[in-house]
Amino acid sequence: MDSNKKYWKGLEELNRTPEFVEKNKHEFAEAIPIEEVLSGGGLSAKTPRRDFLKALGFGVGAVTLAACQKVPVHKSIPYLVKPEEITPGIANYYSSTYDGSAILVKTREGRPIKIEGNPGDLLSKGGLSAQAQASVLELYDTSRVKDPKLNGNPTGWPQLDKFVKDELTAIKAGGKRISIVSSTVHSPSTLAVIADFITAFPTASHVTYDAVSYTGIIQANKNSFGKAVLPHYYFDKADVIVSFGADFLGTWISGEEFTSQYVKNRNNKSLEAKKMSRHIQFESGMSMTGTNADVRMPIKPSEDGVALMNLYNALSGTTLPGSKKLTNANADKAIVLVAKELLAAKGRSLVVAGSNDVSVQTLVNAINSLLGSYGATIDLDNPSRQYAGNDTDWTKFVADAKAGLVDAVLFLDANPAYDYYNTKDIEAALKKVRLKVTFSDHDDETAALCNAVAPNHHYLESWGDDSAIEGYYTVVQPTINPVNNTRQAEESLLLWSDNAVKTYYTYLRANWETNLLAKGALAGQAGWEALLQKGFINAAPAATGTYSFALDLNAVAQTILSQSGKIAAGGKYELQVYQTPAMRDGKKANNPWLQELPDPVSKVTWDNFAAMSPSDIKDLGLDEFQVVTIKGVNGYSVSLPVLSQPGQARGTVSVAVGYGRTAAGLVGNNVGKNAYPFYNLLNGTFQTTSAVSVDVTSDIFPLSQTQTHHSFEGRNIIREATFTEYKKNPAAGSGKEGEQEKMYDLWEKSVDDASHSRPVYDWVMAIDLNACTGCGACVVACSAENNIPVVGKDEVGRRREMHWIRIDRYYSYDNGKGEFNVTKEREIDELKDFENVSVVHQPMLCQHCDHAPCETVCPVLATVHSSEGLNQMAYNRCVGTRYCANNCPYKVRRFNWFNYWNDSRFDNYLSNEHTQLVLNPDVTTRFRGVMEKCSMCVQRIQAGKLKAKIEKRPLADGEVKVACQQTCSANAIVFGNRNDPNSEVSKALNSERTYYVLEELNVKPGIGYQVKVRNTLSDLQA
Amino acid sequence: MRNISLILKQFSKSVLLVAGMALCGLTANAQADPAKGEAIFKAKCTACHKIDVRMTGPALGPQLTEETDDAYLTKWIQNNQALIAAKNPKALKIYNEYNQAGMTVFSELADADVANVIAYVRDDWKKQQADKAKAPAGGATAAADSGPSSLAIFALIGVIVIAFIVILVLNKVIATLERLLLSNKGLLVEEEETEEKVKGDKLAVVKKALKNKKLIFFIVLCGTVAMGSMSWVTMWNTNVHQGYQPVQPIKYSHKLHAGTMKLECQYCHTGAFKSKNASIPSLNVCMNCHKAVKTESPEIHKIYDALGYDPQTQKYDTTKAHPIQWVRVHNLPDLAYFNHSQHTVVGAIKCQKCHGEVQEMQEVYQYSPLTMKWCIQCHKRTNVNYKGNGYYDKILALHDAIKKGKKPTVDVLGGIECAKCHY
Repeated sequence: MDSNKKYWKGLEELNRTPEFVEKNKHEFAEAIPIEEVLSGGGLSAKTPRRDFLKALGFGVGAVTLAACQKVPVHKSIPYLVKPEEITPGIANYYSSTYDGSAILVKTREGRPIKIEGNPGDLLSKGGLSAQAQASVLELYDTSRVKDPKLNGNPTGWPQLDKFVKDELTAIKAGGKRISIVSSTVHSPSTLAVIADFITAFPTASHVTYDAVSYTGIIQANKNSFGKAVLPHYYFDKADVIVSFGADFLGTWISGEEFTSQYVKNRNNKSLEAKKMSRHIQFESGMSMTGTNADVRMPIKPSEDGVALMNLYNALSGTTLPGSKKLTNANADKAIVLVAKELLAAKGRSLVVAGSNDVSVQTLVNAINSLLGSYGATIDLDNPSRQYAGNDTDWTKFVADAKAGLVDAVLFLDANPAYDYYNTKDIEAALKKVRLKVTFSDHDDETAALCNAVAPNHHYLESWGDDSAIEGYYTVVQPTINPVNNTRQAEESLLLWSDNAVKTYYTYLRANWETNLLAKGALAGQAGWEALLQKGFINAAPAATGTYSFALDLNAVAQTILSQSGKIAAGGKYELQVYQTPAMRDGKKANNPWLQELPDPVSKVTWDNFAAMSPSDIKDLGLDEFQVVTIKGVNGYSVSLPVLSQPGQARGTVSVAVGYGRTAAGLVGNNVGKNAYPFYNLLNGTFQTTSAVSVDVTSDIFPLSQTQTHHSFEGRNIIREATFTEYKKNPAAGSGKEGEQEKMYDLWEKSVDDASHSRPVYDWVMAIDLNACTGCGACVVACSAENNIPVVGKDEVGRRREMHWIRIDRYYSYDNGKGEFNVTKEREIDELKDFENVSVVHQPMLCQHCDHAPCETVCPVLATVHSSEGLNQMAYNRCVGTRYCANNCPYKVRRFNWFNYWNDSRFDNYLSNEHTQLVLNPDVTTRFRGVMEKCSMCVQRIQAGKLKAKIEKRPLADGEVKVACQQTCSANAIVFGNRNDPNSEVSKALNSERTYYVLEELNVKPGIGYQVKVRNTLSDLQA
Repeated sequence: MRNISLILKQFSKSVLLVAGMALCGLTANAQADPAKGEAIFKAKCTACHKIDVRMTGPALGPQLTEETDDAYLTKWIQNNQALIAAKNPKALKIYNEYNQAGMTVFSELADADVANVIAYVRDDWKKQQADKAKAPAGGATAAADSGPSSLAIFALIGVIVIAFIVILVLNKVIATLERLLLSNKGLLVEEEETEEKVKGDKLAVVKKALKNKKLIFFIVLCGTVAMGSMSWVTMWNTNVHQGYQPVQPIKYSHKLHAGTMKLECQYCHTGAFKSKNASIPSLNVCMNCHKAVKTESPEIHKIYDALGYDPQTQKYDTTKAHPIQWVRVHNLPDLAYFNHSQHTVVGAIKCQKCHGEVQEMQEVYQYSPLTMKWCIQCHKRTNVNYKGNGYYDKILALHDAIKKGKKPTVDVLGGIECAKCHY
């Protein structure tokens, strides 16, 4: 029986707007003007025979002449003295660290080309975020600062050192203040260097701030338990997870780590053990975490605290003063049910909130304390060091600088001129500071205000260490000589403070020798080498203490209420400022891979926007992408295109930070608008919510949104079930129950034929829709592995994005009766409630169909099937008819409209000689006029087989990992040999939940999907 | 030319050496026997020393001639460490000069042995000095047989061609002038008539032939076939560079190294058995031998130059280093993936199968066509090297083929599918 639920990718698809219907009739967004040519002057114009012959003759002659080119002489230039560890053609892997996560860096002939997760990593267990995958490209960024600068002019290091040292000495003599301003530093050795610097300059101090701050949590923990730390959370130990606006699978603290934890209770293995966690999300804008929740309740930002108060009341049985009902009656109902769930799962539950408000977080602490989460799902004794910024210190620094109390400031990984909420203040403050140095390796917004730029190395050029979690230490080692004339910031600090140790490597070694190696039971040179090989050490965790919450909550409730009143009363709309999983805080805005990665929820690339509820948009009479002006209470205003976002709470607007950089570099400049100035300082912390007014303008600013590009014409391709149904029948929703349609097979007779059998390997894939969170790391990993070009906003707008794997995001409705029902045509007009939608993410890539429709239509046999079940694409045979793309039911084939790798129009992205160094030499770049698509990383399959052959042993299961599978923290993708009954992929595909997309077409796809299971609150509708 | 002069040089050297040895036999003094010394010298000293130039240790000829204190020398050779330990000033000086790298201790050598060695070295050095005095004459002959340069030859040809053209033009002018003179005298008409008659006869044959339709058809057919096959062959062989033999920056002979010296291919092409690239050796591989072998050759000096190496001081100056740009002989297009180790290790195919008898090539050329047809033909004809390789144990297709009595060729396992080489 097929599910009768209707899924849609975008409102235009649901509404079936005439433009959408028209567009989807065609394979390509823009019609090819054949009819024009035929009906216009094209055919009626007469070409005299002689002219035709002349043109023909000239053409043939010209082409012949053009082809008479001397064969180029290729030079082979060997090393003068080859380093012993390098064999040309073989990749070397070095362990290193990205943002606290242990990684492996793949280098070929001395250049890093890919970042891969370290399987032993404590945080992501071998997975990696899109940001980490994309970080290798930043090494080759042409916008990086090439030389140190003094007052904007390139100079040499000796001159810069002399200038800075003289200034520092003078300032020290004058007894004036020196400040090192940085975003959170969690490298123990860097912290030691800063401490040494402060010893050398007693007037110096270290100010830490984060563009997206977690001061609220840290401060609340200090108030509640006397520990000013960011706790370490364990989502894998929680059976019930309640999140109030915390995007913990994406941007909140440690997304990859939480994803791997979260999925443990929701993946195939857990489901087969009849166990699944329940996740309830209360939030305003639709976040990636919200899309994965079992139950999602839209609430206004002003009601965040109120909802938590209600939850506390329901849990404790008391009533906090000022408690009131929420505007969303469903949410109120949900809170009562959630409280019941939470109480039933004491010690196995977790409540988190995304707010940066101390009072809200204190209330969360009270709730978690009631639930016995401390010591179970929350660890305060082995805390996270990922964010340690202090908003109070930071704003005090700006105020002091403005008052002329600071004489020197050194910015380390900090760009306040962009991300400080009050740009005027920071500019005024920096004007009063005598010496301003930034270690930024880009000419960013802050660098423009500094006297000196002392460019830091990229992390792939640096030595270093990191400690994201107490007791977990990782090492950073260089994988390439510095590309530009840069110097590591730590080394600069050592030199300027006349430290006895002049090189940071020596300093680092000494620090590890005396303080850290012993924690991993290592010692000496051998210990250091062991560390470099392994990449991390893990000290025994500290014992967890018991924590009880004893604060008076009445005052807390009062603060919450007064703040919520401010947001609600200020204007007509409530603004929520958030981060997108790709762009985060905007530091990496110059990375084209990240800019082109579609946002997991909105599927918008290359821009930020104002997300509003479709109902509000209707009320305002707005068109899609019509520009609105959003004005905050502090007078800051931006004009952004509006995007109707199903699931958005009514009366709210969400805008992402990380955009609107003016000095990010060639790629990131003037992409979107800056939303940081909407922050406001309240009770000592930055608040991400505020009241705004929304004014309509008449402009339209089209966004390049990929969501409806490759439509399925409403076919039944998403299958889902509730956990209750699943427990009754594991095959629920998979379409396997009931009568199967009779299939007819054109190829049946030839199955015995060797050309259609797969005697050795049958490479297939299983994708668990219940594990996929939609983050998009696989898209970037695939781009890096397979040399996929970046095409830019304009081309994406023409539906010409080149990603081989895309994550389709489908919405569906809850009709309020507990059943996600069919939304019939035209029924949309009657639907009032755009808020209660549920979302399914579906990674879509070439299905490697055994009866592939693309293969039969290719006139030149450029795409054929292999005996290993792969749908092969021979680029050099392709003549670009695009018949295959037209005939592909999954819409996964991509056409090269341009020669992206050698076209000046795409210089800003990847096709300059510098960024081309990131290309994978084992994969060809494709030329203009050629089709391409997922190859199932055939280069990795071949390499794996060869390794096994050389070692004279069979290929083991799991030995070959495709790029998308490797980076997935959720392990949603399993790849392997279907012919091996014991392979992981066979086991996964044998699960009852497995179904094949568009199975009824009998194309026999090689990728099986597993039904999405939702652990809904069945009582919610009662 | 160069080869001949090199052979000459080598020949004259050996003649001189023989003569020298004969001479040394005559002048051998009673106390020490240089012939015995030579044997010991060759067995024990040549690893680090040469007589004329500095190697790991000093050039012994001048060193031992300058140093006349034989007792000291004997002590040094027998146990230099003891002298250094005793802080002998002479010993310390040389010890420090050679970066405090101590010489091997030869305590097994008796005083007489040492004396023999010293005698041999001194004699040999004397002879070499004497040879050098004679050398300039030989040098001159060597310079003479180097012959005119190619530039000179071209210039000469150019001059001849120009002269020839000038003569032709002048003749023409003279003829015209003569004819003018004749026409003035009214004598030219006759001559032209006779010429016309001859032409008429000739044309008649052509005209007759033109009327023969069969002949015309035959000629046209031949022309078409010739042109067609020519263009077919040309197009078929476009970008096929079989036989391509570019001039390399260093006259490296595979025949000498792989043939005469019998060096294994992978001694230099280390990647061939490990990686997809066979790889051209880096210069440190050359230096393994050429630090000591053929140090005087101008080709070897190209290596030294590239490395910034000074054979006199044996020091490397990396600032002067520059890479050698070899010309790639075997060029596969980027769209084809080829892995050496797959073929050499797994397939156990000899290098010569694709590269030809490299050990007999003075300069390497492209032996195989390197076309896709050539690849596929081999994959269709060659059996998989499955014996003793655990990888193939459970591969059914292979075993099916063997059971059915078919040849288990590479294509049975999908070895001619697109994505085996194109991705």
